[in-house]
Amino acid sequence: MQPTSSMNEEFLKKWQMGLQIFRPSIDNTSVHERKKAIKLSADVAMASLRKGTTCWSRALIEKTATEDNFLVRQMLSGIKAEALINKKLPKKIVCHRKIVRRSKKILRRKSKSASEEAAAKAKRLVKRRTQGLRNVVPGGELMSNDVLLLQETLDYIVSLQTQVNVMRSIVDAAEAEIER
Amino acid sequence: MNGAIGGDLLLNCTDMSVLERQRAHLKYFNPSFDSPLAGFFADSSMINGGEMDGFLATAGLNLPMIYGETTVEVDPRMSIPLETTLGTGNFKKRKFDTVTKDCNEKKKMMNREEVTEGEEEEKSKITELNNGSPKSIKKMKIKAKKEENNCSNDSSKVTKELEKTDYIHVRARRGQATDSHSIAERVRREKISERMKFLQDLVPGCDKITGKAGMLDEIINYVQSLQRQIEFLSMKLAVVNPRPDFDMDDIFAKEVVSTPMTVVPSPEMVHSGYSHEMVNSGYSNEMVNSGYVHFNPMQQVETSSDPLSCFNVRHIYSFIMFHHLI
Repeated sequence: MQPTSSMNEEFLKKWQMGLQIFRPSIDNTSVHERKKAIKLSADVAMASLRKGTTCWSRALIEKTATEDNFLVRQMLSGIKAEALINKKLPKKIVCHRKIVRRSKKILRRKSKSASEEAAAKAKRLVKRRTQGLRNVVPGGELMSNDVLLLQETLDYIVSLQTQVNVMRSIVDAAEAEIER
Repeated sequence: MNGAIGGDLLLNCTDMSVLERQRAHLKYFNPSFDSPLAGFFADSSMINGGEMDGFLATAGLNLPMIYGETTVEVDPRMSIPLETTLGTGNFKKRKFDTVTKDCNEKKKMMNREEVTEGEEEEKSKITELNNGSPKSIKKMKIKAKKEENNCSNDSSKVTKELEKTDYIHVRARRGQATDSHSIAERVRREKISERMKFLQDLVPGCDKITGKAGMLDEIINYVQSLQRQIEFLSMKLAVVNPRPDFDMDDIFAKEVVSTPMTVVPSPEMVHSGYSHEMVNSGYSNEMVNSGYVHFNPMQQVETSSDPLSCFNVRHIYSFIMFHHLI
């Protein structure tokens, strides 16, 4: 499922609304501040597109809300998505180390044959990679099972693609204008 | 990987109720049973989950260990009332009834509490135990399915989350294990592989990679590269500051047709010509070195002459607005 043009447009609209709100802080500051504001507004716009249906969008808004609370709230009210801030996130998964260690010891004692070891190694690899994926996707640690994680990753990738599409096309247009 | 944690949750949620239910069962089946003894049985089972076999053996019960293979923490609590009811003719049937009753009650208990998706797995494990017996598995299976359907009918009124669990309707295929554990596992595996197929279509260059680990690696790399691209592009936007005498209408006059643009992480774009602007920012190195370098540039779809081809003409006004912002 590639991002469609309607998705691009929606994202663009919301992003611009956000940029309007950020405008006073954009005008006079340095490049880095501007970049941060642009990225922030783009992220919030992208997350608000999902209207709180996905876990990663809620986690992303939570993250940005803690940094720049007032502006984010303004932006969300501008986009008419205020409900997103107060949505409850699922509990973070806490691994009690003792239990994990004990279960790992038991597992290690059981499998001794070569084929089983290979399978166990493959499983370990997969686990490590899923953990890495959880670190990359916003709100990944909150997702309890792998199926949900993969679904969220799908959605997140599509949103990232729309974001990149829109930004790149704008940059290209602006560059083309400058060169003229 | 959440088995232990799930079990913990389970213990905390339904602790007292299970104890009470065990005592009720024991009292029902064996009225002369002292409640402290029942409590003793139940407590010890919960504490010494792994040593239950030994305990029961010393208690002089030669009953077959029905739930010996499963590792869910629910096990000892559930089987204790059964083991202590000493054998009669229809012992197995009663056992089954108590098990299903237990399971149904437990399900309802869980319905009333906060049901998140994370607890779906625990529920599936509980109802798996319904069918876990190696003996008379077919009979129990049919009965359990009916029970589960009844359960699901009740629970669907209470919560919507349980409707998502579709293991109930899965039948064991020919030549495959009929154990309900493996059925649920198989459903889960199928779901995961389905999602992975979608991801394979989405992430470019993944057709040749088989296996979960490699795919996950590619996915992680792709997501990271997309995030880095966004950083880079927002930096570029911050730097590129169009002069106020731009006339965007000219640009829009050229665009006529909208075409959906496919994302093309293109390292060559990075190298060409833009780096001179980014020298001060320090972000250029990051983008130039990074990359999805092995990505096939032939997949690039966008035409360089129409940078705005991803938008419809109708949204010109929004773009002009954007121009005035920056």
